[in-house]
Amino acid sequence: MTEYSRMAKGKFTVTGNPVNAQIINLPFKPDYVEFINYTASASGSDNGVPNAHWDALMGQGVAVIDRFQAANQLTTDTVDTNGISTFEGGLSLQYGATQLVSTITKADPAVVTASAAHGLKSGDVVIFQNIYETTTTGMQQIAGIPFTVTVTGSTTFTIPWNTNQSNYTAYTFVAQATRATFKKVLYPYLYFPGTSFISAITTGTTTTIDTTDAHNFAVGQEVAFRIPTIWGTSQLNSLPNTTIPGSPIYGYVIAVTDYNTVVVNIDSTGYTAFNSNQLFASFPGEFFPQIVAVGDVNSGGVQISNGSVLYPPPYSVQIGTTRTNTINGPAIQGAYVNNTSQGFIIGPGVSEGDASAVLLGTAGDVIYWRAYLHDISLPQ
Amino acid sequence: MVDMQITNTGNLGPMILQSLAPAMLYVPTPQMNYITVCDKVSMPTHGGTTCRFMRPRALQPPTIQLGNSGIDPPAQVPQRDIIDAQMAFFGTGCIINEQVILQDQEGVLAWVSDRLAVAMRQAEDLILRDYILSAASEINAGGGTNGDNPTNLGMSDFSLVATTLDTNNAYKFMSGIEGMDRYGTGPVRSAYFMLSSTELQTDFDGLVGSGFKSQWDYPTNASALPTEYGSAFNIRVLTSSEAPVARGASANGNDLYYNTVLGKQAITHINQDGYSMNLIYRDPYYSGMLAQNATLAVKFAQAQAITQDTAIRNLVSTRYSSLGGP
Repeated sequence: MTEYSRMAKGKFTVTGNPVNAQIINLPFKPDYVEFINYTASASGSDNGVPNAHWDALMGQGVAVIDRFQAANQLTTDTVDTNGISTFEGGLSLQYGATQLVSTITKADPAVVTASAAHGLKSGDVVIFQNIYETTTTGMQQIAGIPFTVTVTGSTTFTIPWNTNQSNYTAYTFVAQATRATFKKVLYPYLYFPGTSFISAITTGTTTTIDTTDAHNFAVGQEVAFRIPTIWGTSQLNSLPNTTIPGSPIYGYVIAVTDYNTVVVNIDSTGYTAFNSNQLFASFPGEFFPQIVAVGDVNSGGVQISNGSVLYPPPYSVQIGTTRTNTINGPAIQGAYVNNTSQGFIIGPGVSEGDASAVLLGTAGDVIYWRAYLHDISLPQ
Repeated sequence: MVDMQITNTGNLGPMILQSLAPAMLYVPTPQMNYITVCDKVSMPTHGGTTCRFMRPRALQPPTIQLGNSGIDPPAQVPQRDIIDAQMAFFGTGCIINEQVILQDQEGVLAWVSDRLAVAMRQAEDLILRDYILSAASEINAGGGTNGDNPTNLGMSDFSLVATTLDTNNAYKFMSGIEGMDRYGTGPVRSAYFMLSSTELQTDFDGLVGSGFKSQWDYPTNASALPTEYGSAFNIRVLTSSEAPVARGASANGNDLYYNTVLGKQAITHINQDGYSMNLIYRDPYYSGMLAQNATLAVKFAQAQAITQDTAIRNLVSTRYSSLGGP
């Protein structure tokens, strides 16, 4: 090793079915990554991928692998998409490739079918454009909203929005002049907690809020609402305050159900019902309802000594209830946090020669990885 | 007889064929507006990881008379809002071989130091920009006519967002400018700032007849900031090529512009005492047994918080057309 090179290693256990891509944060962006799947190596079962290699000069999203073509019988192969890649999440408003939509159903949740394999994983965030069936029908009302996806197949996923309402028309591409598209938001949570769009509100003695992507709120988080009148529950808005004119009204989070649902302490009994059944024709200049992080009331957040693991870093929850730690040191939950990072991703790609041989194996597999950044890489 | 030979640069060129021009060319650098409009706070050393702000809540004004019972009204419990921000650390640097320092004809260490300082300054601004994108609530422009969501900016959008901040009791940055007897100028209202993209300047120019006032039409430019393009109602517009643009992200697939409108104390930039802007030069002596490489680096610490959520909105818009304003 020479003076300026970088090396790192680690291990993780594969999760999900289908398996989730594994994101490894590092203080550098590697130019070479390799890993050993200990579980697959030990079993020698057919379709197992015991080791893989990737070099930056190969290009992003590929890998060279060994795989078992029969029990204990190795061969070599490649992964051509969703293999190993690096990332550099330092600036927002970066998007993946524009992908074509074939259909979006009128359902709750709405089901999206892409024209080709979308390459997304559950927890990714997408935005849509041009979702109109004719010039007056479709679901252009939700174009531009960031949605967390739940992947249901290689070309399908759902989004947390109820399009099974009278003002929405199912989208099917036939021959529209401008075809509906979507694209992945590459780095949706560089800073949090922040602002999220609201997809549903359940009123009552406490108020349950569903958001379109991850809210990243913690219990104790103080929140404000910005709900345009046509969306219904505008009584939640922080102004006007009829008790202390001019003083904003805030609620605070008393329970976090999952990545996109929180319960707020505001008694909304009798408030106007939330209405996400917006008119297609009203989409130009349409405002979206929002929940906004403010701070904490009195308590000052959840202290690190309050029943938590010693010195936990702040974390985001991008899907379900799975925590993804930031690279920061300890902080008070609910604090405004910088989540910028870099490193590499091992994707859920499959072998070019055998689609049942998955790069990451199966849930429960134990993987040991190493990553390098070399002093010299030729040709430069 | 031998022809007369003239010695020219074709048969005897100068030994050194190049001469460095006395001035370096400028480096195109965006205007950095975000840090300009932030409040500034320093976090003390030995002060933990997190900077905490405290904002008392208003007490209920006692508008009900006491009467003649002699009984005191119930006491109020004062409340406060607490806003936390975690400090984060940043840095970058260059490794410069001694042969470069030895043989290059100009001061490479000097101009690399200069570039590192600008990179740090730009990082501060970009971090603030992206933080505001994630944390400030949005108002979609609806006053324009391009049929997109959001629409292009119309004059009513300026009025709406300023009205929203006024209703929220935000503090304006600038007091007004009184009118003067100068042809073509007019008074400027007290104002919030709006941080916009230079790409929207064609739209602003297109709104001049509708009420947008170019900075050149102020009665005096004394209080105008260098990046100030003009004003509309209670908003003064600063532009930069660095302002956020989401390419192809509107409902109709057009570019989306985030125009951050804010009052005082809406955003606070926090640095760490004794750690703001460290420029570090390390002599080649420290680089290995042959002492070949010097290093120049910069590091800094920064946190940021929305400290008055009611005093900031992202007014999100598209453009009138890809060719410019109306």
